[in-house]
Amino acid sequence: MARNNDVRRRVAAFVVLAGVATAGTAQAQPDPMEIMNRVQDLYRGQSSRGQMTMEIVTEHWSRSLTMESWSYGEDHSLVRILEPAREAGTATLMADNDIWNYLPRVDRTIKVPASMMGGSWMGSHFTNDDLVQESRLVDDYDIEITFDGERDGMRVWEITLTPKPEAAVVWGRVEYTVRQADVLPVTVLYYDEDGEVARSMEFKEFERIGGRTMPRLMDMRPADKPEERTTMRYDDIEYDVDIDESFFSLRTLQSRRR
Amino acid sequence: MSESPWSRIGWRNVGRHPRRTILTALGLAVGYGAVVFIIGWANGFVAEMVENATGLMSGQIEIHDAEYRPERSLYDTIGGRDGVDFAALMDRIAEDERTVGVAPRVFAAGLVSSGEATTAGQLMGIDPARETGVTRFLEGLTEGRLPEPGRNEMAIGSEMARQLEAGLGDELVVVAPGADGSMGNDLYTVSGIYTTGLVELDATNAVVPLTDLQALVMLDPGRIHEIVVATSDPFIANEMTAGVAASLGADDLGMEVVSWAELNPTILEFSALMDSFYWIIYAFVFGIAIFGVANTMLMATYERRREIAVMLAMGAVPGAIVKSILYEAAAMGLLSLVIGVAISLPPMLWWYAAPADLSWLYGEMTMQGVLLRPVMRVTLDPASWAGAAVALFATALLAALYPAWRASRVPPADTLSGI
Repeated sequence: MARNNDVRRRVAAFVVLAGVATAGTAQAQPDPMEIMNRVQDLYRGQSSRGQMTMEIVTEHWSRSLTMESWSYGEDHSLVRILEPAREAGTATLMADNDIWNYLPRVDRTIKVPASMMGGSWMGSHFTNDDLVQESRLVDDYDIEITFDGERDGMRVWEITLTPKPEAAVVWGRVEYTVRQADVLPVTVLYYDEDGEVARSMEFKEFERIGGRTMPRLMDMRPADKPEERTTMRYDDIEYDVDIDESFFSLRTLQSRRR
Repeated sequence: MSESPWSRIGWRNVGRHPRRTILTALGLAVGYGAVVFIIGWANGFVAEMVENATGLMSGQIEIHDAEYRPERSLYDTIGGRDGVDFAALMDRIAEDERTVGVAPRVFAAGLVSSGEATTAGQLMGIDPARETGVTRFLEGLTEGRLPEPGRNEMAIGSEMARQLEAGLGDELVVVAPGADGSMGNDLYTVSGIYTTGLVELDATNAVVPLTDLQALVMLDPGRIHEIVVATSDPFIANEMTAGVAASLGADDLGMEVVSWAELNPTILEFSALMDSFYWIIYAFVFGIAIFGVANTMLMATYERRREIAVMLAMGAVPGAIVKSILYEAAAMGLLSLVIGVAISLPPMLWWYAAPADLSWLYGEMTMQGVLLRPVMRVTLDPASWAGAAVALFATALLAALYPAWRASRVPPADTLSGI
């Protein structure tokens, strides 16, 4: 299965690149599905390990967390808090569609129930769902390119995701803006069911890290509280590290405590 | 007035046909009893509903930060960020003699987990001794005891216990976002399990000592979300709120003082609907009775038309005839009232003392989110008794108007000559 994914992803990357190559010359319509796959693999690769800083600013408090993360394929990842010391060791494991949190203070692991998947992850403006749903966007939404042209002096695609009729999803519509030059995302707008923007994510600091050019920074802002935000910044990321699916187990979640 | 011959004639005529009089009076008396009972039951139902809605968990008066409702945010504590000396506030509320109990509360949303199972819960920080003096939901403590401060204990609803497969003494992991953004988490032991009967509440509510919950969610000791007040009668809560607000200086502290009627207007509307429904009951019951009484009076006066003709022939004015018949009706009303009170009040008092248990018919049921016990109780409401008595007299007099008018128009000569 993992091998199949890998093959598919390589083919996808090839097709997108080919599409990008031809887009410049022959204006051939690129495949939105392949663009989305590419965008979603950005921080993931086949496997990855990274360190990031999450800064959360709310009306009532602001805080900064340093975290270490691992990912494998589309469906497995693990995040562990390094700082602040009071919360160091707190970890989240995502495997398939489930999320577990490890709490070092009480040395217990709890599974996030389905009813809390819409709840905030670590107090940020990301929800638990965001952590696992991202990989399923292409399954749950119809994807089409709704804009192809220049915006702010940059050729971009606007890719609109509309929920498939039977899909149980949170958003009424999701709009990605992707740079055509390097197929990197610029913004994501999340619309609620009434067609209003509910929150927006901006990608910034396009730099070369881990051998790829990518936006280091993701800035998520809820539309109803413009003064609030969560900023996730990758300090460091490396791809194709030596881990496999077995790493993403409850045992790892609990054993590598600090 | 009792010296008037017309009242004496009226009174005497009541005794003319004792059996007929008794039957007619019984009709009115049963009507009286029916009204008194129906209103007693309906009031009992409303009282049960209001008492359960307010007494179970929400109290009759709630005090929050003005911003607290409806989001019920963790940060909107009474007195804002700095908190407040809530013990002093509670003492001031308790000075009002209509106050039965006062209790502080802290709320937080969190995950409660046991083994594999995890559920989302509302964590409620309480002062157990005070809380039980205000609300009843902890009376349903079927196992164990209330949690004690500083011992990491919590009491949970029975449905939550079932979902978590947790019993007394079991360990629960609780995770709750703190006021500083951190993830508060700790281990608790189940000290007690309670059943309120409201499944939703039993599935989501968990009770922790106030100070323990404040520590878990990083709230300073002076920060609480709610003060609940129990009043001696739910229906005085509305009048009390302004006084309580003034005595606490609620406006200066940015607090709101609200009664259950504001928090749960549907129940108040339901109560008002029932009140207007009473008029329909009066109209129906006495509307039926009025024709029976009118018929009897018409018959009685027709039988006495010769006697009336004699009185008219001897110089009685038609108004006097009307007066005598209305006196007769009033006497009949009085008799009916005596019978009505005699047949309705003793059973009412008995019913009040021992409400009918209908659990054989249906179990506990909920209406508008309010748990109702399967009992049919009555309230003793002298105002409704008096109202029914007035309605009874009005019925008797109204019923007599037409027969009296007819009687006063008896042509003396024709009647006496036998035509």
